[in-house]
Amino acid sequence: MTYLGVVALIPLAAVVAKSLEAGLDTFWSAVTNDQAVASLRLTLIASLIVVIVNALAGTLIAWVLVRDDFPGKGIVNSLIDLPFALPTIVASLTLLAFYGPDSPVGIDVAFTKVAVVLALLFVTLPFVVRAVQPVLLELDREMEQAAESLGASRATVFRRIVLPNLLPAIIAGGGLAFARAVGEFGSLVLITGNIPFDTQAASVFIFGQVESDNAVAASAVSVVLLLVSLGLLLLFGRLSKKALKHEE
Amino acid sequence: MSIVIDSVSKTFGDYVALDDVRLEVRDGSLTALLGPSGGGKSTLLRVIAGLELPDSGMVRIAGQDATDTPPQRRNVGFVFQHYAAFKHMTVAGNVAFGLTIRKQPRWGMLARTARSRSDEIEAKVDELLKLVHLDGFAHRYPSQLSGGQRQRMALARALAVEPRVLLLDEPFGALDATVRKELRAWLRRLHDEVHVTTVFVTHDQEEAMEVAEQIVVLDHGRIQQVGTPRELYERPTNDFVMRFIGPVSEIGGRWIRPHDVEILLEPAEGTSEAMIDRILHLGFEVRVELSLGEGESTWVQTTRSRAEELELAEGQIVWLRAETESEPVSA
Amino acid sequence: MRSKYALRFLALGYLAALLGIPVALVFINAFQDGIGAAWEAVTTPEAQHAFYMTFVMVAVAVPLNTVFGILCAHAIVRQRFRGRALLNAMVDLPFAVSPVVVGLALLLVYGRRDGWVGEWLAEQGIQVIFSTPGMILATMFVSLPFVVREVVPVLREIGTDQEQAAATLGANAFQTFFRVTLPAIRYGVAYGVVLTTARALGEFGAVSVVSGKISGQTQTATLFVEERFQRFDLTGAYAASMVLALLALATLLAMNLIKPKEARS
Repeated sequence: MTYLGVVALIPLAAVVAKSLEAGLDTFWSAVTNDQAVASLRLTLIASLIVVIVNALAGTLIAWVLVRDDFPGKGIVNSLIDLPFALPTIVASLTLLAFYGPDSPVGIDVAFTKVAVVLALLFVTLPFVVRAVQPVLLELDREMEQAAESLGASRATVFRRIVLPNLLPAIIAGGGLAFARAVGEFGSLVLITGNIPFDTQAASVFIFGQVESDNAVAASAVSVVLLLVSLGLLLLFGRLSKKALKHEE
Repeated sequence: MSIVIDSVSKTFGDYVALDDVRLEVRDGSLTALLGPSGGGKSTLLRVIAGLELPDSGMVRIAGQDATDTPPQRRNVGFVFQHYAAFKHMTVAGNVAFGLTIRKQPRWGMLARTARSRSDEIEAKVDELLKLVHLDGFAHRYPSQLSGGQRQRMALARALAVEPRVLLLDEPFGALDATVRKELRAWLRRLHDEVHVTTVFVTHDQEEAMEVAEQIVVLDHGRIQQVGTPRELYERPTNDFVMRFIGPVSEIGGRWIRPHDVEILLEPAEGTSEAMIDRILHLGFEVRVELSLGEGESTWVQTTRSRAEELELAEGQIVWLRAETESEPVSA
Repeated sequence: MRSKYALRFLALGYLAALLGIPVALVFINAFQDGIGAAWEAVTTPEAQHAFYMTFVMVAVAVPLNTVFGILCAHAIVRQRFRGRALLNAMVDLPFAVSPVVVGLALLLVYGRRDGWVGEWLAEQGIQVIFSTPGMILATMFVSLPFVVREVVPVLREIGTDQEQAAATLGANAFQTFFRVTLPAIRYGVAYGVVLTTARALGEFGAVSVVSGKISGQTQTATLFVEERFQRFDLTGAYAASMVLALLALATLLAMNLIKPKEARS
């Protein structure tokens, strides 16, 4: 417990304390500062988009990895975890190589909001996939076969039989992805340009405030960010459990 | 070593597992704790082992109060239903475990002594593996053994430390029927050889009847009856025991063993009227299913010769009476 | 089934566009000026020091988090105490916190000027922020949960039967833990260690804040990549990235070797 405290809890408490150091008014003004708000809004919207895309793409990928078979599937499966293993700064660099000014295929979305979404998509890729895969593996095929024998088309089977069973996992994975996206920093550093009011995410804004020795403002926005991610985790966790109960 | 359970009670939240249980287990005996699931028998066994602490009451092993002694020091061997094999150790490693941890080499011990100790252990392990017919399996891993073999290994492991008491928790429950029957007979023979006080838990009355010298019937945390298999079958003290051990028929508001019922072709004193619905010829026994009127039905067991003698046929009206020596129990 | 191929194409296409091609480009671009230039870029004194710093982070954070992880998992699964659910939830905290916030938090506590503990430590001559200890702390924070989270389900899965059997055979708590429990969870621990190492290797945001990014002193490999990029030394940036990417792939390999063994136990 002490270990946990020293490493994790006390520092976090310090952030909260600092944010309130100069009083609630300063806290509020720091948080409602135009630039701060812009960064928070960008972060939240981009993260939301990313979660939705991941819910779709992640489920699709999990489906293909579980139900389909092709040479090299094992390797593809292992590569899903790459965003977990790769340092975020390297991720930023790699995305820049392909989607930036020196792109071999001429796509240049660097320094735009698209770059933000792209970076977040990269780092959150594994969450939904890895959450859905085990559920898909365990799924009782006989349920689907029963539905088909009763006349349901493949699409209907997916919509009415498979998807409801996957929903808890998709939501859980989505929650983790959301929390990760909201706090993401390293992958944004090189490819987004961190342009205030345009492509500056909340985490980058906080970083800027720290560099400018503006600890109180940084802490205030950090607290907001913390509350948002904790809140999201709780919300998605609860939604996931609710979906699970419906399946029982 | 004898075991005395003195007014032991144990609750888990709202659930009463043991309710003022008193029991004496004789030294060297082979006892079964029998009862339906949730009746308290596993809990009682674990209390004896020290894996559960009673809320009240005392456990005495070999005359000494063991209630507060941890399982490590009670010197009881325990065999689990799902073997609890140490999966990462070989069979020999498993069996030797109790011995290995006791004979830890100490600093300053001569290399020769350390080696002779491990030789000792190896010899003991070989002996035990032979006893349980697993010689040759010493270097295999539990995952390479069948269920029956794993359970025999677990038994050898428990016996290695020469326990005063051997406890088995539904030891054959996870095995299929043939293996179960084999191991039952085998346990009986083992006990004849080794003579350690043995208590085992089962919900299978046939198993208890076949193996044990003494059966303790438990239900809802209370002892219903203690006795030999024959005593429990012929003189059950209440209808729970009667119904749990052996077949029963209900006739005229009383429970009676189906083979203790006499079939008469004419009414007589103390008989009930019944109509034969079906006659089933099951090899050596004949089962006669009858209606007693008012929608009640029952069945009676008789021999082939008797059935032929009486020329029983379906639809026939007969009269039923309890045979004179039997003691039916009121329902 | 036409749709099967369509799905496969979509999925693989998405993965290629997002994952495969960009990563492959790192390798290609690293050698854009030739192998010699790439080699030089990662063997400069600064580069070597940066990799050394990363190594130090890992060498300290991983063992500490492993020991903590095993003890914590054991407490969560096998012991009953008030606040157990809280402990369980708090272990996941690093997942919810942005790395920049982690850095800020450590700054506030251990910073030399107004830090809660930092001021006092500075008087003792111990510098945490803008120095190695701070970076180690940051790395420890972000890689905290992995061993715990991998070991908890394994501990739950194997159940207490083996440990109880060991107790009836006379083993005390120590013997049971080292001879029975630990071997039984070894693959869960191994997997957790690999994940922890990967996270520690790749840490950027928190050490960014906490290190002061002093080249040749408090710069880790990841910070080195950023610096090279900002100085327009693309070869250097890509070359160092390539090394890190190779380490990441090695991690993936380890993960894949251990995962089936973990599943089997």
